[in-house]
Amino acid sequence: MRMPKVAMGLLLSVAAVTALSAQAVSRTTASAAIPRLADGRPDLQGIWQARSRAAYDVEDHPARFGMPAGRSVIDTLTIPYQPWAAMKQRENFEQRAKADPLVECFLPGVPRIMYMEHPFQIFQMRDAVAMTFEWQQVFRLIYTNGTGPSTPLQFWMGDSRGRWDGDTFVVDVTNHNDRTWFDMAGNFHSDALHVLERYTMLDADTIRYQATIEDPKVFTRPWTITVPLARQREMGRVLEYQCRAEMEEAKGDFKADPRTWYQDGSAPVPPLPSEPRSTTAAAPQGQIPRTADGKPEISGFTEADAGGANWGFEPHNEPFTPGGRGVLVDPKTGGLPYQPWARAEKQDRTTPGRGYDDPTAHCFAGGVPRSLYVPSPFYIIQTPAYVVILLERMSWRIIPLDGRAHLPDTIRLWQGDSLGRWDRDTLVVETKNLNGKTWLNEVGDVISHAATVIERFTPVSASLMQYEATVNDPVVFTRPWTIAMPLKRNPKGELLEVACLEDNQDLLHLKDVKERGIQ
Amino acid sequence: MTRIMVAIGVICLWSATASAHHSFTAEFDINKPVKMSGTITMVRWPNPHGWIYIDVKGDDGKVVNWAFETAAANALYRRGTRPEDFPVGTQVTIDGFLARNGTPTATSGKLMFADGRAITIGAGAVAGEQK
Repeated sequence: MRMPKVAMGLLLSVAAVTALSAQAVSRTTASAAIPRLADGRPDLQGIWQARSRAAYDVEDHPARFGMPAGRSVIDTLTIPYQPWAAMKQRENFEQRAKADPLVECFLPGVPRIMYMEHPFQIFQMRDAVAMTFEWQQVFRLIYTNGTGPSTPLQFWMGDSRGRWDGDTFVVDVTNHNDRTWFDMAGNFHSDALHVLERYTMLDADTIRYQATIEDPKVFTRPWTITVPLARQREMGRVLEYQCRAEMEEAKGDFKADPRTWYQDGSAPVPPLPSEPRSTTAAAPQGQIPRTADGKPEISGFTEADAGGANWGFEPHNEPFTPGGRGVLVDPKTGGLPYQPWARAEKQDRTTPGRGYDDPTAHCFAGGVPRSLYVPSPFYIIQTPAYVVILLERMSWRIIPLDGRAHLPDTIRLWQGDSLGRWDRDTLVVETKNLNGKTWLNEVGDVISHAATVIERFTPVSASLMQYEATVNDPVVFTRPWTIAMPLKRNPKGELLEVACLEDNQDLLHLKDVKERGIQ
Repeated sequence: MTRIMVAIGVICLWSATASAHHSFTAEFDINKPVKMSGTITMVRWPNPHGWIYIDVKGDDGKVVNWAFETAAANALYRRGTRPEDFPVGTQVTIDGFLARNGTPTATSGKLMFADGRAITIGAGAVAGEQK
């Protein structure tokens, strides 16, 4: 049938308009479907958890005790092992109840950490993306500043460098050791492992996670895991599962002191008499870098000039212990204002047999404020909604800035519950809900579950922050006290992994000293 | 005996480690300084502490494998020390302090090579140095 020219033109115009508007709609839908940051990149931030049985076995598998049946999550259905490696995997499988590194609560490695049945939170800055996991409070710090691995060292969690390929976040993970597995079924790799991860948002609540695995020592060709990550909207924050601490407590290898730890019936904690005032003058406007929203910019590699605080808050200069200039600024004289029982306890903790009782000797989290002045650096992630402190000793503190309330009293955490707010140019962080199982330092200074810790981070120049921590603990002390020290920023610094309990030989010696009563 | 008890005065020039995660006074005995010579049999390079193992021949001819604890791998790395600096089979002398529990274990201070080179593998902290 012939159509008049005018009608034909009209039809084509309508078709063109329809096609254009369909395209426009589709573009609008696509951009509305996934959240984006101001720079147009997909916004991966939020709390996520894998929706998969991959944590048990990445291949098709029947149900076994403690292991529900599940489908393969890999493109080749089965892992293309070299013959020797297939035998080794079967051996691992038979021995899994003891040989799985997770039985000892060791670091899970990448990609395994991504599909364990534990939530994690993603934080996104221009130069780095951080992931903070519930499991053992492990974190991943993925540099997105164009750098490659800066060391030849091997790490449990590898070395992660990220870049954007269109809307997909691509992470190169190298420098693996050969001690982690892919799952509970004994699937394994060597230190020649290379993992290429791709994170693609399918909609606002789903990330498609893919990890391509190469390891010429173990596999005949590369293979790819695909697992969906689901947003955990109902979860206000990632809490903690300190696997090793829970295990040692359950076995009786670590005993919390009932005088300091929180238990049902612990007396309610009285409020602070008044919020401490900072003794530090902030830098004049213009002297410090600022974020787009005008707040002081405090992110990046940071180290405390800790004045030996991990070996005592007062000036000290004894052999066999790093010296210290003293960091206690209030009270100025007389030392920590202990109640008599706590002073006696602190003295007792300095005897050799008590060295075993320091939680950090077990590689447990340091607590607040100790985590910041142990002699290891940390990396600060800063977004409009959060400040996150990634501690080199493989633990984290998430500090929301959104004015939320503290957790219920019954939830007690190794790193406590920290809430932050900006008071002009000072970040003020209030921490409660501590579990009372930590020590304040290696010489046994005492802190309990009743403590409220107020920390103040005040930038004084582009490279320096003043840090103060006021501890108000009515169970241990007669009055609040305050320590202060500078924090130094180093834009070139990078964190190295501290896998602590994985190779902690000292604990056996300390246990020996304690059990045999050696002086 | 190859093990030489060194003067207490040395203690004042040396103290415990950076990156410590446990009490040194609880694990090691400041009153038992040692200096031993032997052959490196193994180097372990983890955190929170590395370990250098040396075979030490006693006066009775018996060889004992001693474990010397070093600073954390990260601390050594940031100081410029590398695990390759300690090849297995190398003859070295290490000073340090004995473990309290009587095992062939010590914390280390300085490691000296036969050619006179020395590397601080332990604390490196002089008493009074601030951390």
